[in-house]
Amino acid sequence: MKPPRYFAASTVAEASDILTAEEGAYVIAGGTDLVVRMRDGLIRPAVLVDIQRIPDLAAVGGGDGHLRIGATVTIAALLESVQVRHLAPLLAEAAAQMGAVQLRNLATVGGNLASAVPSADLAPPLIVLGAVARIAAAAGERTLPVEEFFVGPHRSALRRGEILTAVEVPLSGEGSGAAFAKFGRRSAQVLAVVNAAAWVRLRQGVVEDVRIALGAVAPTPLRVRAAEDLLRGRPPDPRHLDEAATAAVRETKPISDMRASADFRRHLSRVLVRRALERAVGRAREMEQTHAL
Amino acid sequence: MPYEVSFRLNGEPVTTAVEADESLVWVLRERLGLLGTKIGCGTGDCGACTVLLDGRPVCGCLLLAVRVQGREVVTIEGLGQPGRLHPLQQAFVDHGALQCGFCGPGMLLSAAALLARDPHPREESVREAIAGNLCRCSGYVKIVEAILAAAQAMAGEGAG
Repeated sequence: MKPPRYFAASTVAEASDILTAEEGAYVIAGGTDLVVRMRDGLIRPAVLVDIQRIPDLAAVGGGDGHLRIGATVTIAALLESVQVRHLAPLLAEAAAQMGAVQLRNLATVGGNLASAVPSADLAPPLIVLGAVARIAAAAGERTLPVEEFFVGPHRSALRRGEILTAVEVPLSGEGSGAAFAKFGRRSAQVLAVVNAAAWVRLRQGVVEDVRIALGAVAPTPLRVRAAEDLLRGRPPDPRHLDEAATAAVRETKPISDMRASADFRRHLSRVLVRRALERAVGRAREMEQTHAL
Repeated sequence: MPYEVSFRLNGEPVTTAVEADESLVWVLRERLGLLGTKIGCGTGDCGACTVLLDGRPVCGCLLLAVRVQGREVVTIEGLGQPGRLHPLQQAFVDHGALQCGFCGPGMLLSAAALLARDPHPREESVREAIAGNLCRCSGYVKIVEAILAAAQAMAGEGAG
């Protein structure tokens, strides 16, 4: 079999041109998913377009009510970023549970999304934060909510010639809190059996707004709107959180595979949503109190 | 071999020709003759292939060699020298932290990167730093002890 050709792009436009012109061209960022899939013969790239030497893609920056995280920012950089810790601590919380050091130093934020693995750990957090994906192509740029970025297992909304360049996370207002919960078979280096994230905003002791998302329980990361609807306008007491967690399970469509049975995934969905909600509510209350002082 | 790649390997400049789908660990072993770095799972799960890339531990099996152009790579061969072990290597010997030894090179490099960043780690930080390195023999207890002891020994050296 012929090995692929390799091209280190220095600009997004250059990378996009090759991806458009060449049959079988793949973007490589961290490579932690792509290289394994190449070795297993699941994909046979004709050309590898390395985007990790494009300077703009590796930056974290604030501005205009959002935090912009470049596509080739590594999970390690996400974890170490002071801006991320202050402005989007949910992402740091998820990053701390991703891979181990050796993977975090290679794997990227963009790769975690663009590989479109249903268990991607950054997907539920980015979805509940209302993040937007920035997508570039030779013809121009477009944006897409991260919630709509996943199409199916290993299928994202990216079209030929398009590159995910960044995610933009809107800054959460006062009285909001968020949390991430994951279950895997080992504390490091595992795909999640199920993961979940919750974001809530409280106002005078009542849930004013809430977003809940789950991973690895459907072909794509899943936002569970019926569960959210049960909480909006209600006090976040144990009974309502339980009801929401139970409702979330009904929206999942898990499969049985080598990592877990569908039944166990349903059980985990309820437990992890409940756990994420409880922590998110606790953090939102802390925020309310801090601001009241 | 269509791609020529130049990088620093254990402090020395090196240039070698590679195919675009060859992993760094394979190139280190088969083209450059450095057999210290081990190939375990080949999927980024076991950490036996750990090398330092610009000072950070990475899985050498997941890193295509063609991508290390211009970068700094350290393997276990760069950690100590024959007859003059790195304090971590000495501590592993003193504590019986190696049994079959297959995880050793990766384990030592993960530990070296930790101590470079955090010279006085707590046990929890040590366990976190080696979470990506599987050891099938030791149960990790002696490895953790050895890394903590090496940290102390290195702190003593620095003070002296």
